[in-house]
Amino acid sequence: MSVTRVLVANRGEIAVRIINACQSLGIETVAAVSEADRDSLAAQKANRAVCIGPPRSSDSYLKVGALIAAARGTGCDALHPGYGFLSERAELAEACAQHNIVFVGPSADNIAKMGDKLQARRIAQSSGVPIVPGSDRAKNAPEAAVLAKQIGYPILLKASAGGGGRGIKLVSNPSEMETTFSTAAAEARAAFGDDTLYMERYIGNARHIEVQVLGDHFGNVIHLGERDCSLQRRHQKIIEEAPAYALTQDVRAKICEAAATLARSIGYRNAGTIEFIYDNDSSEFFFLEMNTRIQVEHPVTEMITGVDLVAQQLLIARGQALPYKQTNLRLHGHAIECRINAESPQHGFRPCPGRISNWQPPSGDGVRLDSHCYTGYVVSPYYDSLLAKLIVHGDNRAQAIDRMKVALATFQVEGIDTGIPFLQTIIDNPDYRCGKINTRWLEKKLDEYSASYVA
Amino acid sequence: MELSEDDVLHILKLIDESKFDYFQLEVGELKITVSKGDPIPISASPQNVAVSQASAPAPQTASVAAAPAQKKEAPKPVVIPEGMVPIKSPMVGVFYVAPEPGKPPFVTVNGPVKADSTVGLIEVMKVFNAVSAGVDGIVTEVLAQNGQLVEYGQPLFLVKPS
Repeated sequence: MSVTRVLVANRGEIAVRIINACQSLGIETVAAVSEADRDSLAAQKANRAVCIGPPRSSDSYLKVGALIAAARGTGCDALHPGYGFLSERAELAEACAQHNIVFVGPSADNIAKMGDKLQARRIAQSSGVPIVPGSDRAKNAPEAAVLAKQIGYPILLKASAGGGGRGIKLVSNPSEMETTFSTAAAEARAAFGDDTLYMERYIGNARHIEVQVLGDHFGNVIHLGERDCSLQRRHQKIIEEAPAYALTQDVRAKICEAAATLARSIGYRNAGTIEFIYDNDSSEFFFLEMNTRIQVEHPVTEMITGVDLVAQQLLIARGQALPYKQTNLRLHGHAIECRINAESPQHGFRPCPGRISNWQPPSGDGVRLDSHCYTGYVVSPYYDSLLAKLIVHGDNRAQAIDRMKVALATFQVEGIDTGIPFLQTIIDNPDYRCGKINTRWLEKKLDEYSASYVA
Repeated sequence: MELSEDDVLHILKLIDESKFDYFQLEVGELKITVSKGDPIPISASPQNVAVSQASAPAPQTASVAAAPAQKKEAPKPVVIPEGMVPIKSPMVGVFYVAPEPGKPPFVTVNGPVKADSTVGLIEVMKVFNAVSAGVDGIVTEVLAQNGQLVEYGQPLFLVKPS
């Protein structure tokens, strides 16, 4: 399997990240860009760019045919899908295989198995990994009502074809079941073309914990520790940390072992993340889902392990054996990532596209920035609002928080609004500093912040 | 008129010294295509002589690539002359000037086109998509090369609108 020239089938910061990893390994890159991204940093940094379609992602970044044609026509022998877009679509991995293009990611079979969230639950269960108490497929509202009574309210209705925080509905009590079930089914049908629903008990006081794994073609699977991604807004992560500081050593070891076991059970290869929910009250953890791709928040793991995960993806894809053994991986210190979005915290966090007239990111010891932005860059309204990931590393969590505080304070962005002022209030919050948070904590802070500007 | 090997070598020398990077000569049944970049697969007609400047200078028959040639370099930006309209590629894919190898091209330089005329094909994963002119007029230049990758929005032809 040769990987000498990679089509970067994504945009934004991750496209730049992939190009950097390729360059570090002497691999050439071709940036697949939409018309809106012709002048992007990825297009400038890659050996060449190829325009694959109009700005709308459904006409460009989501077109398998356009990506395959671009890869073949530019002499690429590999394709990196990044995250989002087509990264977790078995269809792209299959098309690559048909055209002798190395897909830098797991096998189509791995993707398909874990993409069906209900099937993933069954696989986890059969490998002895605890799953959230819940149900198999609920065919209709009356059946769901019976099952929910056994599980105990409140429950979550989840779309089997969903994932990544999409296709989830809360049902607080039996009276809501009928309406919520039909809405959830209709939404799942519209969004994913599949209205299969299942249920999970809702855990109110929870942390989101996930484990990074790497697997190669020789059946070696290792974990690279866990991350705490509990600070979320509408199921989208805002601040991520590694390691999971609030868990005991014993629980951390068990969660990581469970993740590696699950990945091993499906012969997983390449980089993946297994997500768990941790119940703060009972100290139990449960499998949620597996993401069969590199994740946005991978840098916090890189900072504490010293492993370049994207480079490892490329080496694994090339057929090389993992150079690490579980026993010789060491974790150092603590890392925090803040997602800097183009949004206006003073105006209810509405998206804020436009031209960046000044971009002065922070630098210094333990500070890393993954971004595609620069002074003069125009943030397009067509794509998600992620501008940059600000990552800091410290000897311990307190030092990392202090570094993040300084980094946010010195980050200058003009021309558009960003979430930085809000992030500063979080980093300074005493509850955050001592780690007294759960998956609902940030939503409350967001409401308080927004209310303070309306008043 | 016959072309000797010396004639061909002479032509190659002239092209090499010139600023042109693409040259096509048709004498009766004989057609010579010379390019300084990648070889240009025009069609599979046995009379055709395709000589890549980098390869052996002696004329050879039918060095036509079966698979689409790979274009490692991005296309050079095209300046659209005043009064001309480009026909742009509606998608990324491999461009073909003719319905199948050996058949005449859909359009030729100085030939007329209607807005709904098919001017070429773009192949994406073995699916061939027709490209319409979108304008009435006369084709003045073919900008894209047969069998090559074209990007979305890349100018394929120049048309003088009527």
